[in-house]
Amino acid sequence: MAEVALSAVGKIYAGSVPAVKDITFAVPDGGFCVLVGPSGCGKSTLLRMIAGLETITMGEVSIGNRVVNRVEPMDRDIAMVFQNYALYPHMSVYDNMAYGLRNRKTPEPEIAARVAEAARILELEPYLKRRPRELSGGQRQRVAMGRAIVRKPQVFLFDEPLSNLDAKLRGAMRVEIKKLQRQLGVTAIYVTHDQLEAMTLADMLVVMNQGVVEQIGDPLTLYERPATTFVAQFIGAPPMNMIELSPGAAPPPGLDGVQSLPVPPAGALLGIRPEHLAVSADGEPPITDRPGDVDLDLTIDAVEAVGAETYLHGRLGGVGQSFTAREHGKMLLPPGTTRRFIARREHLHLFDAATGRRIEARS
Amino acid sequence: MVENRPLADLVSHAILILGVAIVAFPVYLALVASSSDPTTIANGQLGLLPEGHLFENYWKVLFEGTERSTKQPMIVPLFNSLVMALIISTGKIAISLISAFAIIYFRFPFRHTAFWVIFITLMLPVEVRIYPTYKIVADLGLLNTYAGLTIPLIASATATLLFRQFFMTVPDELLEASKIDGAGPWMFFKDTLLPLSMTSIAAMFVIQFIYGWNQYLWPLLITTSDDMQTIVIGIQKMLYVTDALTEWQLAMATTILAMLPPVVVVVLMQKLFVKGLTETEK
Amino acid sequence: MEKRSYFAGRLLPYALLAPQLLVTIIFFYVPAVQAVYQSFLLQDAFGISTQFVWFENYQLLFADHAYYQAMSVTAVFSILVTALALSIALLLAVQADKNLKGAGVYKTLLIWPYAVAPVVAGVLWLFMFQPSLGTLARGLHELDVDWNPYLNSGDALTLVVLAAAWKQISYNFLFFLAGLQAIPKSLIEAAAIDGAQPMRRFWTIIFPLLSPTAFYLLTVNIVYVFFDTFGIIHAVTNGGPAGATTTLVYKVFNDGRAGGDLGGSAAQSVILMAIVIGLTAFQFRFIERKVNY
Repeated sequence: MAEVALSAVGKIYAGSVPAVKDITFAVPDGGFCVLVGPSGCGKSTLLRMIAGLETITMGEVSIGNRVVNRVEPMDRDIAMVFQNYALYPHMSVYDNMAYGLRNRKTPEPEIAARVAEAARILELEPYLKRRPRELSGGQRQRVAMGRAIVRKPQVFLFDEPLSNLDAKLRGAMRVEIKKLQRQLGVTAIYVTHDQLEAMTLADMLVVMNQGVVEQIGDPLTLYERPATTFVAQFIGAPPMNMIELSPGAAPPPGLDGVQSLPVPPAGALLGIRPEHLAVSADGEPPITDRPGDVDLDLTIDAVEAVGAETYLHGRLGGVGQSFTAREHGKMLLPPGTTRRFIARREHLHLFDAATGRRIEARS
Repeated sequence: MVENRPLADLVSHAILILGVAIVAFPVYLALVASSSDPTTIANGQLGLLPEGHLFENYWKVLFEGTERSTKQPMIVPLFNSLVMALIISTGKIAISLISAFAIIYFRFPFRHTAFWVIFITLMLPVEVRIYPTYKIVADLGLLNTYAGLTIPLIASATATLLFRQFFMTVPDELLEASKIDGAGPWMFFKDTLLPLSMTSIAAMFVIQFIYGWNQYLWPLLITTSDDMQTIVIGIQKMLYVTDALTEWQLAMATTILAMLPPVVVVVLMQKLFVKGLTETEK
Repeated sequence: MEKRSYFAGRLLPYALLAPQLLVTIIFFYVPAVQAVYQSFLLQDAFGISTQFVWFENYQLLFADHAYYQAMSVTAVFSILVTALALSIALLLAVQADKNLKGAGVYKTLLIWPYAVAPVVAGVLWLFMFQPSLGTLARGLHELDVDWNPYLNSGDALTLVVLAAAWKQISYNFLFFLAGLQAIPKSLIEAAAIDGAQPMRRFWTIIFPLLSPTAFYLLTVNIVYVFFDTFGIIHAVTNGGPAGATTTLVYKVFNDGRAGGDLGGSAAQSVILMAIVIGLTAFQFRFIERKVNY
């Protein structure tokens, strides 16, 4: 088991802009790190550099205190699960898992024992003689996992391993991957573009955008205190509502209680998560305003009820910016109704409009 | 991969360059020979650099002919080859398009039989039925005609299979939409299917043009008169005078002329060529 | 072969099929049947009388030393050309599949011989190795190699093998390259992470995945050697010396024309037909297996 440390890592393809810039972080031994970001943000490139599939043009990658920049993939003691699983189509499930061990001249009895163990853990025992094409998507995914765990590597690398599965299976596999990683105590680095997957799997979340790290931290910290507008809007679904505030100017009609916010000269973005826009249901006592809370008058123009919760889409002051609110249970407001929504002061996020960085609000 | 192995890359380049050299050398030598004068070659003194008789030799081959063997200007066979290649390629495409259209877009008795009748011809190359076919063409009075040269080669299972395969991938909805819009078979064929098939047709054309141009055994039997000869046959005829008298500089010029059109087609239409080749023959 | 919707039409489909079927029947089926029928006939030397002799032509054929020679020439020729053209093409395709600079240029420079007619290929090689004036033949003579394809059977066969293989490399190269490029890159990367060295990666992953292509090419190459190389042999050696380069197809041609033995030639055609059908069936079995991968 090992720590994975990146120091000032970058990648430039010849004659083009950097794909990845100046990335520094360390995944502790046994930690589960998720690299998340939109497609093209450099997360897969970064993972492939850690794997040794891409050359590292700047900085250093070390695994277990050993700098591995010039070490071949096979000598890095890692295993990788690919997006399309990359199972060898001409080999049985057994041979797929045994291949890496055979290349390392492991004795056959030990190979048999390790494959049997992995097959037991992953419930693949009935399928060992089959070819990959005779398996379902979920089974193939488990074989890819099996191929990784028989090797007992120091680090697991996952490159969007669940994106080819349907939503239901994806949820189930997510839980399995997390359990397995805990059980084996192995360090894991996992790439995904799905923020839900990222939030649920990670001990440590690295949000990337355009080749740089936006923020590193545990999922709840990132949710509660996003460092940039990008993180604020990337983490959480539906995304955080954002509204521009200019210093000195009057707030847009329908918005109250923002005068005391510390808006910098360049202006600010006020962020409010949909689940933090509270409105009182019919027949309930109205929610009371407290000092520092922000009030929004929203005119509802669409309602999406999904059962456990309801998404209300409305415009500020009837004509202004669109906001989405997320309410528990059923709240079937007819379109056209105007309601007052309240956002508590502790739920407000303020960002510098010029830099996109978080402004630490009044304590 | 991290395996940055400049040495391995160098070896790869070396192997590829060697491959290209092996592939190109015979043609280069032919070019050199076609620029040389007869005595240099006959004395076995041909070097590796071109000489000054290029234009003269090609002019002679094209418009005057050899002095000793066939004595025939090659412009006529060149033209014949072009006509043959064009008739065979367009003819194949035309009859294959409509037969694939019939097989895919109609339901009629013996549809499958018709398909198999065409399909099995894959197993009957002209070489295995050469004399009976010759006799039929002779009985039809088609010896030494373009018709005799081309029509027996025009039936092609390959082209029919390709177009059939392509039509299979055309979404059913397109036909349904055309029918709703009131299009009959001809309108659908002309306005929808043909435009969609354009790349397949072009790819097929490249392959079949080469096939037609390079025919050898069939024209060898069917054409006896000089003015119906094809260029590929012309080369062979030039060689077979008494060996020492072969006018190699002219024979090699003819060889270059014979390979130029199909090679140009392949190089210029490389994408279509690769597509035609890999899609038809699988 | 089934479409959900189709056109109604009773005569139209037949009319559309007519040209193809007509040509097919007149120039493919009728001659093929005639070849079979003729193979049971014996003609006298002057072509005046014919006689139905059942399998006598076949018996004569299988008693004929020359036929066995043609068979073994064809077999040796096929094996040599196929082995040479496939291995060189595979070697080149593997290099061209790497991410090299100028890979596209190499590809263009390697594929054009496909367009060269077999007879042209033959003449190009004959010219290089023409014993008295060929550039390479002179080189061989200088090395004290006694080279003369006009007189020496081994030399003649070598020459036609080289010319035939030279022409076929481009075709094989293209298919091998397409096959290589169809292998997902992640498989190779997975193998690298699994600890397989480049050579081992090639033999345990790439080569097995390429084997359907290789099998396909094997049959195509054999068919090529059987039939398409006729032009090379006809132009370069005329089947000689002493039948050393007379393949089965060349013998059909030669016996039927020069020899005037139409019955014997027809019997040979029928045997060739059987061989082609066998090869085609073989090829389709492997294509089916390939689909299963």
